[in-house]
Amino acid sequence: MHENVLELSKVCKKYGAFTAVDDMSFVIPKGAIYGFLGPNGAGKTTTIRMILDILKPDSGSINILGETSALNVRQRIGYLPEEKGLYKKMKVWAIISYFATLKGMDKKLAKQRAFELLETYGLKDFADAKVESLSKGMGQKVQVLSAVAHRPELVILDEPFSGLDPVNQEVLEQLINDMAHAGQTVIFSTHIMQHAERLCDRMLLIAKGRKIFDGTLDQARAIIPRRVILECQGDIAPVLQTNGIICATEKFATDATDTSGTRHWEIQIQEHANPQLILQRCFENGIPLTRFDYTQPSLHDVFVHLVGSDAREHSFR
Amino acid sequence: MKMIWLIALREYAENVKTKGFWIGILLFPMILIAVFFFQTILAESAPTRHYILIDQSGRYAEAVETAIRLEHQRRILQEFVSYVAENRREANPEQTVTNAGAQIDQLIDDVDADEVAALEQWLENGGLNFALTMATPYLREGAPPFVTPREQFVPAPLPEGINIQASPQEIIAQLRPWLTGARQLVVNGAGSNLFAVILIPAGVDETIQRPGTTPMAINQNSSGMQYWASNLTDVRLPNAIERSINSTLRNNEFAMRGVDAQIVRDVQRTRLPVARLDPTAKEGQEAVSIADTFRQWAPVGFVYLMFVSLMQSVQYLLSNTIEEKSNRIIEVLLASVTPLELMMGKLLGIGISGITTIIAWLSSFTLFILFYPSAQTAMLGQFFDVLLSSDLIPYFVFYYLAGYALYAGIFLAIGSLCNTLKEAQSLMMPMMMILMVPLVTMTFIAQDPNGPVARIMSWIPLFTPFTMMNRAAAEPPMMDVIGTTIVLILTIALVLWLSGKIFRQGVLRTGQPPRIVEIVRMLRNRH
Repeated sequence: MHENVLELSKVCKKYGAFTAVDDMSFVIPKGAIYGFLGPNGAGKTTTIRMILDILKPDSGSINILGETSALNVRQRIGYLPEEKGLYKKMKVWAIISYFATLKGMDKKLAKQRAFELLETYGLKDFADAKVESLSKGMGQKVQVLSAVAHRPELVILDEPFSGLDPVNQEVLEQLINDMAHAGQTVIFSTHIMQHAERLCDRMLLIAKGRKIFDGTLDQARAIIPRRVILECQGDIAPVLQTNGIICATEKFATDATDTSGTRHWEIQIQEHANPQLILQRCFENGIPLTRFDYTQPSLHDVFVHLVGSDAREHSFR
Repeated sequence: MKMIWLIALREYAENVKTKGFWIGILLFPMILIAVFFFQTILAESAPTRHYILIDQSGRYAEAVETAIRLEHQRRILQEFVSYVAENRREANPEQTVTNAGAQIDQLIDDVDADEVAALEQWLENGGLNFALTMATPYLREGAPPFVTPREQFVPAPLPEGINIQASPQEIIAQLRPWLTGARQLVVNGAGSNLFAVILIPAGVDETIQRPGTTPMAINQNSSGMQYWASNLTDVRLPNAIERSINSTLRNNEFAMRGVDAQIVRDVQRTRLPVARLDPTAKEGQEAVSIADTFRQWAPVGFVYLMFVSLMQSVQYLLSNTIEEKSNRIIEVLLASVTPLELMMGKLLGIGISGITTIIAWLSSFTLFILFYPSAQTAMLGQFFDVLLSSDLIPYFVFYYLAGYALYAGIFLAIGSLCNTLKEAQSLMMPMMMILMVPLVTMTFIAQDPNGPVARIMSWIPLFTPFTMMNRAAAEPPMMDVIGTTIVLILTIALVLWLSGKIFRQGVLRTGQPPRIVEIVRMLRNRH
């Protein structure tokens, strides 16, 4: 039994002179919810298409569910592409059951499963409607359902949240969690960090076709040193002797009219350092604090920190 | 294979649900019914036409009346021939001129061969009454009685106050309101339009033209014969009159020059029938029958049927592929099935709907023949039997399927390269031109089925299905049949293989359709 559902090793893909994916290697363990994060044009969709063997990599190897090509195991995979589309003239239940039968499900079971899913995820009333009569968001939900109706071991969703309203985003998060609980491995790509923060066990950050980060949420947060922000009257030199402090920088107020004499410090601390220690030092040395602020960096900060300059460059190109 | 079947089934089910499919299926029988229905209605509703004859010369009135009587007899003869053809006891289209013994067959054949002579024979034999007596033993039981068509050209009384001794110009001036429809004639108490005035001035003989005389200008001021009618399209009456008067005139000339008119007529009716024989037929059956001629021409019908059906199918295939592409459904499909399975599924599904259309057409045709009996449909039905018994059907099935695989493969590749129908149009143009060639040459090839053009075209795989179908009845050389079939099958395999390549890479493409260089690169690509 393979422990990893997916292994990529040194995968490259070029479109002419443009390198879409460069030296991509990662491993996805069974049963995880795995996030593909990255700015627009980072190579997420190309990577996913190569995983599914819709595109062939120029070099490198892919092992999926123990096979070298996803085509050999496509019945065990569910896929929602980035650009959504359905047959407009087909009925909602029929399209879900059609895609499920293409994945090898029995016709009768597929129909039964379609109605079951539609009921669970709030689309029961639209089962007999034609796809063209649905709103965009509903159509997208139908497409997600048609991608997972056959209970695949590995589910790959490309930008599943785009175009959904907050309520339906929650429904979708619920669906992803349900699948993870059922033991299915879910990979999804997104550029909205909140979803990744809430859902992912592990995440992969891609920019310019290269892997920038691969690990758990905590590991990601650890990339940005944790910061303590201090504001006080006078000097904080005694405090800086505390163990675990990496560096401290004084930020000068841009407003010159501020004459209160308040000084503003930003202290970066090591991952395992205890911020309470700094607070304790302050009291011991009688430094009157007007502000003590300790925050976990959000994934958003990590994202901007890692790819910020690149992403901006992209958008102005 | 299961996937191909699933895709094919969906394609078929979706295609059958479209309006276009049903329009395609229903249009053909509707046209068929419309053509026959209107023909019958038009034939039965031909109005009675009233004419006025003024013969100031006093020499030709009889000839004109004869002409009109003959015209009527001609219609009766025609109707009677089709009545007999419809109600004959044994309808056998295989019968030929030489082996038809019965007089009734002779009559039908005579009408085919030379209508004027047959008409004279008909009248000489006593016309309809004699023909009915003669035909009765040969009619099937329960045949409906023959309904004589009513007379179409009827003389009308001269309106009051017209002086027939006045000059032609004056007479026409007086009759003009009736001729233009401003006034109506009163015939048997009912109003009716005046169809024509035939005016023969007293000095008509002066305008007779003989070899050597200079032709005179023909206008209303000349003293020649005049035919006035506002209807310019129905020329049966003036033609008949002209024929009849000239015949009378020539009889007079014969008498004048001391020639026996009867001898001349006998000479004119002398003819030597040419037996048309087919050297390829079995001994004793060499005579060419109608059925033989039909068998020779039937392939043209098949070529046309093939063309119409292929056009319909490939168009659908193209627009359907483009829809999937522009909707991005293709990606989901490709995550479930291989491009080859998708392609084959589509080919199969659309192919079955094409065959459904053909079967629907043929069965509506059969139903039509069964439930709408008339002379024409009886003929068609017999031809249909000939067709089914001939070996053209297997040819058609093979070449239809081959042609479909060939062209569908090409159009599928085109569809996979384009995002909109508009883009597809420019790539389709050359294919459409190629498809037109067999259609344009089909009559020519039917006339010269084993000539150089036909043989050369047969070896061009894009034309092979059409051209070989076209030649099917002419027993083309074995070398052509087997050789072109091998080339055709190899080409189909090649086209499907190459289209598969283009399809695989084309379906995921976005943006502009590719240039030739890019297509060549796609074909070279290993993947």
